[in-house]
Amino acid sequence: MKDSCSSTSQLLERYFDRQATDEERSLVERHLPLCQTCHERLRVLEGLRKAIKTPVDEALKEETFPWVWEKIEREIRLGKKSSWQESVRSWIDLSPLFRKKVWIPAMAAAIILILVTSPLLFFKKDPSYSERSVVEYVESGVYNVMVYESENAKVTVIWLFEGPQTESPAS
Amino acid sequence: MNDREAELISRCQQGDQDALKEIFDQYHKKVYRIAYGVVRHREDALDVVQEVFIKLFRSIKDFKGKSAFYTYLYRLTMNTAIDHSRKAKRALFFSLDEEGSFQPSDAQEKRPDHIAAQKELEEKVRWAIDQLPQDQKATLIYREIEELSYQEIAGAMGCSIGTVMSRLHYGRKKLQDLLKDIVKGREGQ
Repeated sequence: MKDSCSSTSQLLERYFDRQATDEERSLVERHLPLCQTCHERLRVLEGLRKAIKTPVDEALKEETFPWVWEKIEREIRLGKKSSWQESVRSWIDLSPLFRKKVWIPAMAAAIILILVTSPLLFFKKDPSYSERSVVEYVESGVYNVMVYESENAKVTVIWLFEGPQTESPAS
Repeated sequence: MNDREAELISRCQQGDQDALKEIFDQYHKKVYRIAYGVVRHREDALDVVQEVFIKLFRSIKDFKGKSAFYTYLYRLTMNTAIDHSRKAKRALFFSLDEEGSFQPSDAQEKRPDHIAAQKELEEKVRWAIDQLPQDQKATLIYREIEELSYQEIAGAMGCSIGTVMSRLHYGRKKLQDLLKDIVKGREGQ
């Protein structure tokens, strides 16, 4: 019977918890009168349940609950009055930004970003500045010359054009 | 969930306090039993009951009816009681004198020796239950105090029936070791 005891350890608990099937129940009930170990185990389970449950049942007998409801009602009424404050507070509590205090480094990062980008945003160069240039056109008897010079004189381009009068008509 | 309960929940979701009162009338004893099972202290259990129904009123809008209402309420109760128990443990460091327990009403049971024995027993059970991992503790309370079926416990805890059985088995085994004397003494009663 010892072998069957070890294999029916959880079956015994299901039986004790009234969760066993009819078939399992009759199996345990046939086994119990023959096995002192299982019988003892069942008594221990019962003792454990009593130790946990009896104080709860006894405490419940003593309680009167109407005043508990009154307190709940009062709390809800008070809660409604300050619901907007609660919601702000709960938002602050729930917001990971505030809860984890990451807002200090986040603010610092934002300030640095503004400082870095503001010169570009507010002191942007005049877009036409770099495009200012001088173009000169000089005509002569032999060649026409066009000179392109950028404002800061870094780039100078010279074109030479042959004058139309130099072309000789076909003979 | 029956029609009446669905209607109560719907009214409660719209802020109807009378509906909450009906839910309170229906469930407050069950909530108290679970709360007491965790905190093992009368005043604390009443605080938990109060807190649970206030939380329920504020959070019931989130209940979509996908699970049974009682599993939602039991889960809320268990979480609130465990949280309360943690806070109470912290408070214990500062105020050891505030320990309280069940006060029997029967005149015979008010005898000092009986009260002392009762208090000692309560303390031992509370201490032993506190030694269990949270999952085992919750499973045992659902089963031993509220007598929920394995199926109902699995629903309330969001786990399988196999897990429920395993937690019960190991929880009982550990409690049995911790409460050897008490369990033996109660066997014959």
